[in-house]
Amino acid sequence: MRRILLRAAFALALLAGPAMAQTAPVPQPLGDRGQPDAAELEMRALLRGEPIHGRISIPDAKAANLIQPEGREWRAFHNRTLAWVGGIAVLGMLGLLALFFLVRGRIRLGEGWSGRTLLRFNLLERANHWMVASCFIILALSGLNLTFGRHLLLPLTGPEAFTAISAAGKLAHNFLAFPFTLGLVLMLLLWVRDNIPDRTDVTWVKAGGGFLSGHHPKAGRFNAGQKMVFWITVLGGGLVAASGYVLIFPFTVVDIAGQQLAHIVHSLLAVLMIAAMLAHIYIGSLGMEGAFAAMGSGRVDYNWAKEHHALWVEEELARARQQVVPPPGAKAAGAD
Amino acid sequence: MARMKFLCDSDRCIECNACVTACKNENEVPWGINRRRVVTIGDGKPGERSISMACMHCTDAPCAAVCPVVCFYTTADAIVLHDKDLCIGCGYCFYACPFGAPQYPRVGNFGGRGKMDKCTYCAGGPQQDNSAVEYMQYGSNRIAEGKLPLCAEMCSTKALLAGDGEIIASIYKERVQRRGYGSGAWGWRTAYREELPA
Amino acid sequence: MLIKRSDGRAARQRLVSAYQGLSGGGMDRRSFLRQAGLGGAGLAALGGFGAGRAQASGAATGMLDHTKPVRLVKNICTHCSVGCTVTAEVQNGVWVGQEPSWASPINRGTHCAKGAAVRELVHGDRRLKYPMKLVGGEWRRIGWDQAIEEIGAKLLEVRQKAGPDSVFWLGSAKFTNEAAYLYRKLGAFWGTNSVDHQARICHSTTVAGVANTWGYGAQTNSYNDIRNARTMIIMGGNPAEAHPVSLQHVLSGKEVNRANLIVIDPRFTRTAAHATEYVRLRPGTDIPVIWGMLWHIFQNGWEDREFIRQRVYGMDEIRKEVAKWTPEEVQRVTGVPGEQLKRVAQMFATQKPSTLIWCMGATQKTVGTANVRAYSVLLLATGNVGASGTGANIFRGHTNVQGATDLGLDVTTLPGYYGLDENAWRHWARVWGVDYEYLLGRFGSKALMEMPGIPTTRWFDATLMPGEREKTAADGEAYVAQPHSLKAMMVFGHGGNTVTRIPESLKGLEKLELLVVADPHPTTFSQISNRRDGTYLLPICTSFEMDGSRTASNRSLQWGAKVVEPIFESRNDYDVIYALTQRLGFADRMFSGIEVKDGRVAPESILREMNRGLWSVGYTGQSPERLKLHMEHQDKFDLVTLRGREGTPVAHDYYGLPWPCWGTPEMKHPGSHILYNTNLHVKDGGGTFRARFGVERNGQTLLAEGSWSKGSEIEDGYPEFTVAVLKRLGWFDELTADEKASLDRHFGANIDRAAWSTDLSGGIIRVAMEHGCSPFGNAKARAVAWNLPDPVPVHREPIYTVRPDLVAQYPTLPDRRGFRMPHLGQSVQARSATVVRDFPIVLTSGRLVEYEGGGEETRSNKWLAELQQDMFVEINTTDAAERGVRDGGWVWVSGPENGSRVRVKALVTDRVAKGVAFMPFHFGGFFQGEDRRKFYPPGTDPIVLGESVNTVTTYGYDPVTFMQETKVTLCQIRSA
Repeated sequence: MRRILLRAAFALALLAGPAMAQTAPVPQPLGDRGQPDAAELEMRALLRGEPIHGRISIPDAKAANLIQPEGREWRAFHNRTLAWVGGIAVLGMLGLLALFFLVRGRIRLGEGWSGRTLLRFNLLERANHWMVASCFIILALSGLNLTFGRHLLLPLTGPEAFTAISAAGKLAHNFLAFPFTLGLVLMLLLWVRDNIPDRTDVTWVKAGGGFLSGHHPKAGRFNAGQKMVFWITVLGGGLVAASGYVLIFPFTVVDIAGQQLAHIVHSLLAVLMIAAMLAHIYIGSLGMEGAFAAMGSGRVDYNWAKEHHALWVEEELARARQQVVPPPGAKAAGAD
Repeated sequence: MARMKFLCDSDRCIECNACVTACKNENEVPWGINRRRVVTIGDGKPGERSISMACMHCTDAPCAAVCPVVCFYTTADAIVLHDKDLCIGCGYCFYACPFGAPQYPRVGNFGGRGKMDKCTYCAGGPQQDNSAVEYMQYGSNRIAEGKLPLCAEMCSTKALLAGDGEIIASIYKERVQRRGYGSGAWGWRTAYREELPA
Repeated sequence: MLIKRSDGRAARQRLVSAYQGLSGGGMDRRSFLRQAGLGGAGLAALGGFGAGRAQASGAATGMLDHTKPVRLVKNICTHCSVGCTVTAEVQNGVWVGQEPSWASPINRGTHCAKGAAVRELVHGDRRLKYPMKLVGGEWRRIGWDQAIEEIGAKLLEVRQKAGPDSVFWLGSAKFTNEAAYLYRKLGAFWGTNSVDHQARICHSTTVAGVANTWGYGAQTNSYNDIRNARTMIIMGGNPAEAHPVSLQHVLSGKEVNRANLIVIDPRFTRTAAHATEYVRLRPGTDIPVIWGMLWHIFQNGWEDREFIRQRVYGMDEIRKEVAKWTPEEVQRVTGVPGEQLKRVAQMFATQKPSTLIWCMGATQKTVGTANVRAYSVLLLATGNVGASGTGANIFRGHTNVQGATDLGLDVTTLPGYYGLDENAWRHWARVWGVDYEYLLGRFGSKALMEMPGIPTTRWFDATLMPGEREKTAADGEAYVAQPHSLKAMMVFGHGGNTVTRIPESLKGLEKLELLVVADPHPTTFSQISNRRDGTYLLPICTSFEMDGSRTASNRSLQWGAKVVEPIFESRNDYDVIYALTQRLGFADRMFSGIEVKDGRVAPESILREMNRGLWSVGYTGQSPERLKLHMEHQDKFDLVTLRGREGTPVAHDYYGLPWPCWGTPEMKHPGSHILYNTNLHVKDGGGTFRARFGVERNGQTLLAEGSWSKGSEIEDGYPEFTVAVLKRLGWFDELTADEKASLDRHFGANIDRAAWSTDLSGGIIRVAMEHGCSPFGNAKARAVAWNLPDPVPVHREPIYTVRPDLVAQYPTLPDRRGFRMPHLGQSVQARSATVVRDFPIVLTSGRLVEYEGGGEETRSNKWLAELQQDMFVEINTTDAAERGVRDGGWVWVSGPENGSRVRVKALVTDRVAKGVAFMPFHFGGFFQGEDRRKFYPPGTDPIVLGESVNTVTTYGYDPVTFMQETKVTLCQIRSA
């Protein structure tokens, strides 16, 4: 009973309050003694890791942030984390590749050249690949320069030359982003069908790709390793591009925290991609005999294809047989 | 040597913007570049405070640490300056600066921010002291004349203090003692959550 | 400019190693340069390149050449009346930089945003460059001679047709003292009293109300003296934005004295943010708050009984009125809680010395005069007048509004507050060396000569309503009590968007036969109406481009030296006035005592004429030499007492010789820092309350009882000094032969009536001071001003009130006539009940720190304009939520008259209470949604344009001064 009465009294008090307020507003006594001042408000916000935000009269909304403490976190990321990750990724990959080359050497053809070739990549695919690749290299170098250049290149060239190189690099980086992205999209359209993971990829991976054993597990047009490279390129590259666009249109869609995040995503994925591409470049050139031809002339040796992409060769032959109808009585020629 | 710093006494700052226009006047800062700005926290509410903010000339400057082309340098007076001829306008300094000091003349789309500009503590830049080209690029060099930044010299209530860090810290401490309240951030309030008797 | 690369030559000279170890590690700048190999030779080559360009653009960019000498010139900021010294660096006749003015005791090197940006005003990108004439709606450039010729001819034509009172001469607070004095003199020689300036819309009610209480209507102490206060109430003022440098003194006082800083304001302003106590009240309820405070004070016996007994008349009638204002009634009417007001009252009355600071919040009301009188009564009741740390610290507005007011740019008086009666005219005729009959002949009639003219706030009403010879029976009371309505308006330095009821003023503007705007900028007058002809723009320069003195709010006079010659084809005010009066035909007589050479007027000689005539306010001791000496030795004055230090050329003087500075300059009176201060000898700046209102009333003496200034030989009250009084005291023969001769010459048989204020020799004043007496007498201050419509201030609801339920008990005045025109009151207020239904929000207006006045000049200053780019309305968060208005969104604010409305941005904040909105008044250039930029002369439109708040403000005038009611009216806000 008492509880009900209390609640009723409370409710009445609440009702009475606003009713009174309507006839005579009761402003609260205010003053700056006993109020937390800005320094304290700042400290509290800082302790919570938040930016301190206020009101300004100029149109630049960024200026309303009095302090953004995340700047220090971002600096730590850029100067330490990224440097370590990038250094380990790139140098580590180079080291691994060197080690692999020393131990395994160049992967040679098992049965020697057949002298016959088949078309692996057409003109469009190759042109697109090289456009993306060359863009990537310049993007990679100019990007790495922004993080590592001052330590590695600046002492060699001097400040003016280094600024000129870096400025040109930045310009190239920002504009080549567009053909690079376009090329990625084209790559996706051209090759996504052949890069869907399937059962053969599991077997291929379990066999270690045959890199060390010398025994080649069967693979389709693209083996699991290549599929990984494809997805790293397309997805990783896509994210790098997307975050990159946020960076070259600053403060259009996000605030400073968003810009910093975009940079973190962009740079981390980029250095990891560089590491992956180093491996890709190695295996496609020095690392494997006969591999370069795929992207070079577009035509690969028949034996090489049977060794590395046996399933793909079968598919190609099957397709070819369907298209080529021999005259009645003709026999199959040569080795089958 | 002296370590030159700024300190804005938020108990005195009334957002009169003299510091802002004094800087514009002395350095002919173009429209759109705000080397110094006044931010009001808790606007319209009790406890409202205004603070004038520009480059804080940090001892361990984050901007200098992240600059890809090392265009920053610190003078013997601990003033952080940069060389616009080396700047490539990448914007990293703005990402790193907790105070939002770097300003860019252009919006920055396609990375075209232009050369970064910021408060120079009225100490000009790497060009020769008080030369015409130094003025055109960086603005005034009052430090070379033995003067202090104009923003602090013209602050209407002497809220913005500039000078050697030790000296302005002691001026501020004097004020806090005289007032008998305030400056909770570095005093009893934050550490012990206690009030100072007024 | 700031993104330019330097010449490659220097860059190549830097060594690679110079940059090693630079990041994070300190490197001495000198050693850096040395390492970088920057030698003199290389730089000289570079310097040649740079310096050449620099010189070409030096005038434009203001770049200082450090290899050449710099001239430092001191002038006074042209914005507000704090009177900060501006130190200009000048090279080659170009203003290239500003330095802090450390020496000035008033600002000590500091400025606000406007003061720190004044150099741009004289660079003058968007200034009016040459005279212009509006022909068929197009602006054409013309020469000065043609302009003066045409304007003069037209003025004489108007005079011929309609009489001299048909021209309205609107002057300005921008004027130096000398220019203001000349302009008033021009009005007198022209033959009209319709000469006015910004004080009308600013502190006219202060001057009238306070002067009617104790003698002078000016700040009694000074900004510096506030440092002595123990309790400060700022009621109706926002000095953090309107007088920022004054806060230097206010906050120092607050810190050093642990003072109480109480802000009473409907808005939680930037000033309130620094207060120790903030009191929120409903706009327009100032008198109830003051009387509410006094209720507690009288109730608890906190008043200063001794002070009241000795120096105040009529406090008992105040007690009767105050008794009605119980805490409950106060809360009902104002919204202020009783407990809070009691606390404030106790602090003010017992934690002394206490001072009351006010600005527009007190004055810009239909009860403005009554408001300030109530404020003054509060000070009197608590004994807070006439000592350091106390007083009515009235913060005036525009740079020389104090001086211009003192110099008589006021429709009710001649220079020096002499008034308009025959004695006043005879005095000035003597000073000006002309016959009284000549001056009389310039006017339409003696009656018109002694009648107050048309005030600024209603010039358009006087244009639209017919004059006496033009009216018909159908007009009824709607006529102007002069032969003809206004036909022509001469505007010198006044904006067109600072007066209420703009839609009405447009009709007036369009009806004028002649409109002349003389200003450094075209002002909104140039574009706001649809005039197509008969309009002239004359470029007069800023006060930085001429010499002259100006009076700061604390009554100190400061001499500003010319920084640079007037830019483009602008001319200074003196020369323009001279040229105009030449064409009008009375220059010879008007300038007979003033030095003019080749059409150039010497301002010092104007000041000397002022010194010869302004005895009533004590503008007589401030000679050009003494003022210039003060500027030269600014650093010798004490920060708090403003006294010059011993052993210096300015020893004993108060800074700026604040008036009254009695007697001739030779008498070397130090000026009066604190008015009515009986602790000092009159010769030392002490004083008493003025005996202005008679000797006795209703059997009670009006003279002081038992109070006199230090060293006074009359140890009691005494009337103002005349020859008759001197004779009675036996002091008449202390006058020198010359002084007696002067009195004989001017007064002849009436010599006994010669008074301290009309004695041109200064002898009466000298003798009075010798005996330690105030020349103007020693009287009591009047708590009851029987000559005013409300002898005891009473609360009257605003004309447009949000509480129609209170109108019956607290009505405004009945309809009446004033200043030659009908003055409506109750008939307009009666509409409130219906108006408030559609317009439920109380609209108040005020200042921003970045802009000044009408804002045309400051919005043309790129450094200031960038900081406030949009006109806005502050709307409470609850009100905004109810209307679907978000922060930064567009809204229409509409007013109850003329279907007026403006389109502005919304600033959603709790700074204003629910039901209250605020708009700054500095914007112009948009009218009811229409962008009027193209109507400005090309190249002169301000950078930032916006709607003017006065498009939606309303009718409502103080009965004593016709002050407008810009601080409280009604509006509605809707999302746009």
